[in-house]
Amino acid sequence: MRIRVVTWLVTGMFLLLIFGLLNLEVIHGRAYRDLGNKNCIRLVSQDGSRGRIIDCRGSVIADSKLSYDFMILPQDQSQQEKIISSASRILHKSVKDLKNAFKNNYISSSMPVTLARNISIKEAIALDELKVDLPAIIVQLNPVRHYPHAKLACHVLGYVSEIDRWRLTKLEDYGYKTKDIVGFGGIEERYDYYLRQEEGGTSFEVDHRGKFIRTLGFRPPLNGKDIQLTLDIKIQKIAENYLSGRKGSVVIMDPYTGEIFAMASAPGFSPSVFAEKNNSAISSLFNNSNSPLMNRSISGAYAPGSVFKLVVAAAALENKKINLNTSFLCQGATLVGRRKFKCWSTHGQQNLLEAITHSCDVFFYKTGLLVGAQVLHDYALKFGFSRTTSFELPYEVPGFIPSPLWRKINKFKNWFDGDTANLSIGQGEVLTTPLQITRLTAVFANGGYLVRPYIVKTIDGRDVSAYQRKPEKLNLKKANVEHIREGLEKVVNDPTGTASVLSGLAVSVAGKTGTAQAPPGHSHGWFTGFFPLKNPKYVICVFLERGGSGYVSCVVTKQIIQEMINQGLI
Amino acid sequence: MKNSFFIILIIAFLICLLGVLSIYSSTYQKEGGLWQTVFHRQILWIIFGLLLFSIVSNISYRRFWDWTYFLYITALFFLLLVFLLGAVRLGAQRWLKAGWFNFQPSELAKLAMAIFLARYFSRKSSDDIDLSCSKFGIFSAVILPFFFTALPLSLIIDQPDLGSGVLLLLLFISMLYLTRVRLKYIIILLAGIILPLPFMWHFLRDYQKDRLLVFLNPNVDPLGAGYTVIQSKIAIGSGGLFGKGWLAGTQSQLHFLPESHTDFIFATFCEEWGFIGGAGLLFLYFLLIRQGFLIAQRTQDSFGKLLAFGITLMLSIQVAVNVAMNLGLAPVVGIPLPLMSYGGSSLFITFIALGILANIDKTRAVF
Repeated sequence: MRIRVVTWLVTGMFLLLIFGLLNLEVIHGRAYRDLGNKNCIRLVSQDGSRGRIIDCRGSVIADSKLSYDFMILPQDQSQQEKIISSASRILHKSVKDLKNAFKNNYISSSMPVTLARNISIKEAIALDELKVDLPAIIVQLNPVRHYPHAKLACHVLGYVSEIDRWRLTKLEDYGYKTKDIVGFGGIEERYDYYLRQEEGGTSFEVDHRGKFIRTLGFRPPLNGKDIQLTLDIKIQKIAENYLSGRKGSVVIMDPYTGEIFAMASAPGFSPSVFAEKNNSAISSLFNNSNSPLMNRSISGAYAPGSVFKLVVAAAALENKKINLNTSFLCQGATLVGRRKFKCWSTHGQQNLLEAITHSCDVFFYKTGLLVGAQVLHDYALKFGFSRTTSFELPYEVPGFIPSPLWRKINKFKNWFDGDTANLSIGQGEVLTTPLQITRLTAVFANGGYLVRPYIVKTIDGRDVSAYQRKPEKLNLKKANVEHIREGLEKVVNDPTGTASVLSGLAVSVAGKTGTAQAPPGHSHGWFTGFFPLKNPKYVICVFLERGGSGYVSCVVTKQIIQEMINQGLI
Repeated sequence: MKNSFFIILIIAFLICLLGVLSIYSSTYQKEGGLWQTVFHRQILWIIFGLLLFSIVSNISYRRFWDWTYFLYITALFFLLLVFLLGAVRLGAQRWLKAGWFNFQPSELAKLAMAIFLARYFSRKSSDDIDLSCSKFGIFSAVILPFFFTALPLSLIIDQPDLGSGVLLLLLFISMLYLTRVRLKYIIILLAGIILPLPFMWHFLRDYQKDRLLVFLNPNVDPLGAGYTVIQSKIAIGSGGLFGKGWLAGTQSQLHFLPESHTDFIFATFCEEWGFIGGAGLLFLYFLLIRQGFLIAQRTQDSFGKLLAFGITLMLSIQVAVNVAMNLGLAPVVGIPLPLMSYGGSSLFITFIALGILANIDKTRAVF
């Protein structure tokens, strides 16, 4: 009896041991294998270079230059002293500095520690030679973003920096890791997936003291894919030149396809400060009240002022509320309800063409009231306002067009005729982005098509413009578009037109000015137009935030077009 | 029966062979001439061991009845000698240096104790056919043999070698259970041992306390006392179903696993041979132990029967404690895996014990 108990006990014990073995090796085997590999496999990664960003002619706007980093494997204490003392001689840094760098950059015993960044090639070679005796040394090639044209097109490009927590949680599943360099804003962010290099590296085996045993493998890093933009850096440069020192934005676009030739925003920033991790410069950028990091062309929404009159005119003509012969008397002001609405001047009897030419407010107050606020709102939406243009760059804002219905639902307030009058001249709650205004102008330049702006031409050599959405026909009567276009022409060519300053150029221009009151402070200045008049090649929108008036914008436009003529770009 | 001799011989030889392979794998990369000879020496000792096995299996086990007291006193003598002349290795005084051979007397004490207890409990009084132990009172049944066990036990624990001490105690209890001593006495003894255990805590050495704490949670001190257990579990776990292959285990070859050729050879083996290999090895041990139990059961002579049980239990306890400790299921104690671990003393004693076992089966027909 007792014998049987003992036999069973021993058998049971063996079964227990086998089960324990099964549990460890088979059920949790994978986890332990990972732990085992962690014990003895070290990885020194090497990054490929991020894809280049080039303009439509192939000039490089952003590429990568190589820098060398000096790292060591931290396990072997005895080597550390020797390495630090000999490295301090080569790098001309004090031993104390290097030791501090070691302390600050130490992550874990299994990760190489960076002691110095951006060392010169000579220093890198000298350190590499020490490797024979001190195998814990690692000299790592590190591509860093480089901008040959400095600040050029900074808002279009965005910048690169270490991944933040928010992006990391979002992108973890796509292979992003902590300390990865990713794009922020602009093309760098939007097309990070393509621009991103693939990490390669060397893996090697170490023993329990972290001593190098043998190399296990090397995977060459893969470079990111190049992206070609529709941007023309010559035009971009001109635009940025004449915008510099002001606040605002310039957009130049192909009126038929929506290709962006230039997209400038001022003030700008130098993206290289992010690549070089110049912390004081970065924090001053973030704290600047002029928000230099904002791309005003798509992320800034402003009252369009008189430019919005084009929408009113189109709505009125399409709804047959007015025709070319309809005229209103401008006496410098008009009464809407009990309130007096002023015009910026006294124009006398005005028909539509004259009203556009002189940007007569009274004419459009009355026209707007004839059309009605809801119809105005609907037409504005038809022209692409109050929603994003689906442009490729991130952080585009939709802007806003108010309507009676919206006011009722969201504000519990009534809509008055005064509001309609305000809306008719692009004041009040209306907000538009310079890109939306550019697109609005393009409709009259190309004969009634709403284009979708885009900026990426090819990715990795493959043409992606074919995938862009085709321009959308707006169902406007051809005659009506022609009438408004005629008005735009007169704005410049008529001596009394608001943009007559542009008439002296070698190329004929058509356009519309806008001065949007934005109390407290100076008004916003707008000019949007297209040139050459016949078969227009370019649509331009110059917006100056608190620039004073539309006239100032006209002057900037003139300078830009003049320079483009000088360089033979038209 | 000649049969069991060969069964034991083949199984033991197979286990030794696997042991040599693992010892070679875990030491061949280590620098220093000493390491290179480790597996040569193990082979030498296996040859000696096999010789001892065949010699002992031809000596009638009844001889050991006569030699009991001599063996017991010799074991005690060596244990005392360790105190005076013992070589200190790994913080413990467990070895006696005799020329090029490091002798570990606690190994001898285990076998001597098994023989001593087998004789003690199979005594017969002159006027009775029955074993006298069934009539023992509590003093002669429990207290007296416990005293005789406690003598070498305390010397071993003082070395300090808690593992061998606990093993001796387990051997005593299990052999006692297999005699005809009344169950009541055994329970009283167990109570007497277990109840004061919590107070024994204060008598433990610091490293022993650490090991016990670490056994409960190895992550208390992952680079200190818990290191071995963690590395051993990683070694075994990373083997997976089929293992990494011979000479391809990173844990043992790159020195992450300490004592990879002695106490933790099971982990080394499992890393390279996987679950299949580990389970196979355990099965070999199981066959060996089963053979021992079969021999004990078919032996009529009470001394032979008890001795066979004692030897088999000694083996099974060592295997179980060692494997459990490798798997992280028992605290780390210095018990080698019989026949596998590097070490002459353990190998010789195990082969002698197996020889006795084979002889018991061979000569039992005589009675």
